[in-house]
Amino acid sequence: MDKELIQQIRDKARNLLEEGTVEGVIGYERASDGVTSRPLFVYNPSDTERLIYDETCAHNLVKYLLDKKGKKMAVVVKPCDSRAINLLLNEGQIERDNVFIIGVGCPGMVETNWNHKSETLQAKCRTCQLSKPVVYDFLAGGEIERQAEEETYSDITEEEAKSVATRRGFWLEQFGHCIRCYACRQVCPGCYCPVCFAERLDPLWLGIRIAPEENDMWQTIRSFHLAGRCIGCNECERVCPVGIPLSLLNRKLEKDVKELFAFQAGLDPEEKPPFATFKKEEVMEFEK
Amino acid sequence: MNLFASKDDLIRWIGELLKEHIVIAPVQVQEQTLFQPISKAEEVVFDFNNTTLSPKGWFLPPTETLFSVQKDDGKVELVPTQVERDAVIFGLHPCDARGIALMDKPFLEEPSDTLYRERRNRTALIGLACRQAQPECFCTSMGSAPDDPSNVDILLTEVEDGYIVQVVTEKGKTLLPKGLAEYKGKVPAPPELKAVPTREVISAMRELFNDPYWEQVADRCLHCNICAYVCPTCYCFDMRDYADKGKVERVRSWESCQSPGFSLTAGGYDPRTTKGERLRQRFYHKLFYFPEQFQDVACVGCGRCVRDCPVNIDIREVISNLQQVTEAKSGS
Repeated sequence: MDKELIQQIRDKARNLLEEGTVEGVIGYERASDGVTSRPLFVYNPSDTERLIYDETCAHNLVKYLLDKKGKKMAVVVKPCDSRAINLLLNEGQIERDNVFIIGVGCPGMVETNWNHKSETLQAKCRTCQLSKPVVYDFLAGGEIERQAEEETYSDITEEEAKSVATRRGFWLEQFGHCIRCYACRQVCPGCYCPVCFAERLDPLWLGIRIAPEENDMWQTIRSFHLAGRCIGCNECERVCPVGIPLSLLNRKLEKDVKELFAFQAGLDPEEKPPFATFKKEEVMEFEK
Repeated sequence: MNLFASKDDLIRWIGELLKEHIVIAPVQVQEQTLFQPISKAEEVVFDFNNTTLSPKGWFLPPTETLFSVQKDDGKVELVPTQVERDAVIFGLHPCDARGIALMDKPFLEEPSDTLYRERRNRTALIGLACRQAQPECFCTSMGSAPDDPSNVDILLTEVEDGYIVQVVTEKGKTLLPKGLAEYKGKVPAPPELKAVPTREVISAMRELFNDPYWEQVADRCLHCNICAYVCPTCYCFDMRDYADKGKVERVRSWESCQSPGFSLTAGGYDPRTTKGERLRQRFYHKLFYFPEQFQDVACVGCGRCVRDCPVNIDIREVISNLQQVTEAKSGS
């Protein structure tokens, strides 16, 4: 743990609460296992001493801003998570004035399980090149230079080279494990529909069967809804209790959107996402 | 009387059981251990921490067809799903066996749930005592123990060169292979577990329904269904009629009080719309409503929810917090 960095976070959180700039601060505290971390909501200045930050703080806390709409909140934000702030600003879900962003540099998060932290960096961190959050009000700890250890889409290119039948077989098997707990949706900063299609009864898009075909439908529609919107925090894959490699789907779509529209979600607070805009000069090939 | 079986004896025994039974046992599926029907004895994993999902799914499957509708000559008939074969769940830990015993209470109380009852009657349980406890385990605080034989037909306990075979019920006796020798050695002591004091929790719950504590814990809750789906005693479900290509059937699937819409009524009113209300419901069901109705707390201390909750909502901590809140209130 970087004690100096943590002190900066605590001091800033305390100031914001004491000055009444925000109602609450969303950060991290040590989990009950004494090893990993968990989200912490601080409302009292005295509780700011519970705030921590280290290589186990994987949670993307930006999701919680959607629960606190209309309230002034501060949130501790890593470089990758900060893209979610831009996504939600782009899509009119949060108001910039209501959010105080305590940015933190990130040395990379490690793989963790309950009561266990490994030395291995999470896959998303091995390709990350963001040295600081893309948007912040205060930067605790300063920038941390990152060198990507791996090429971003090498695994996607490998997947693309496989036959349709092979890929289909692989995904049906993966979706066969899905228990439709919806943790992927619940943790995702881009999943905020007041009524998700999965719960809509009229029209009925999706049944209740926890079975490969319907799970397939669930996962396919969800990943398409995130095309050009997924900001790559990979929280969905991290929380999946049955280990479905969802980042392969999300990053395939990210790669396609990047190639087709030269766009990556959440990097710019102003640029309209490709599927939220329409230009008359756009002519898709299928229209010719 | 305790008998002894070597690992080879067990493998042969499972092979024998497979001739007449569906055998459900812990198997390795990618990075997880899951209870699944096996086709050969060698698939069984003997040394495992609690499986990703509990074996409740054998009795209350994630999805099942309750009945289908058949039309014949203008006559409409409802054809219930039949349980066709006897089954054995092999290798379940005592906490999971207690989970099944707790599920029995709502499902077997009259009017009983037909499919659950049929599967339960036709399934034998061969338990496996835990020789090691994980940091998230707290079964001894929830009415069971790592070596508890009370909810299985046979209990196996690993010893240095094989397994002690303890026959618990008459049903267990009928499953035994021939020729096992008597075990005369010592029965190893079970691992020690850290206690979770559950004293006064039920009475605390009676007072704390409107306490702001629930909103506070719910702040970090994501409202996924992980805790409910990995839990050996969460048994809520949803039902829906399916009509596909002329085939009509009624389907039942797991559902949880954490889902949006779980408590939405036909008139459009939802009594539990906030995160705090939904989170509170799960703990009230486990620690208050279930014990009020069936005497026991609906938790077996398997630790799955503790292990798998993405935001570390730890039921042991919740219990302890409730006690603290009550003490603070009575002290003030």
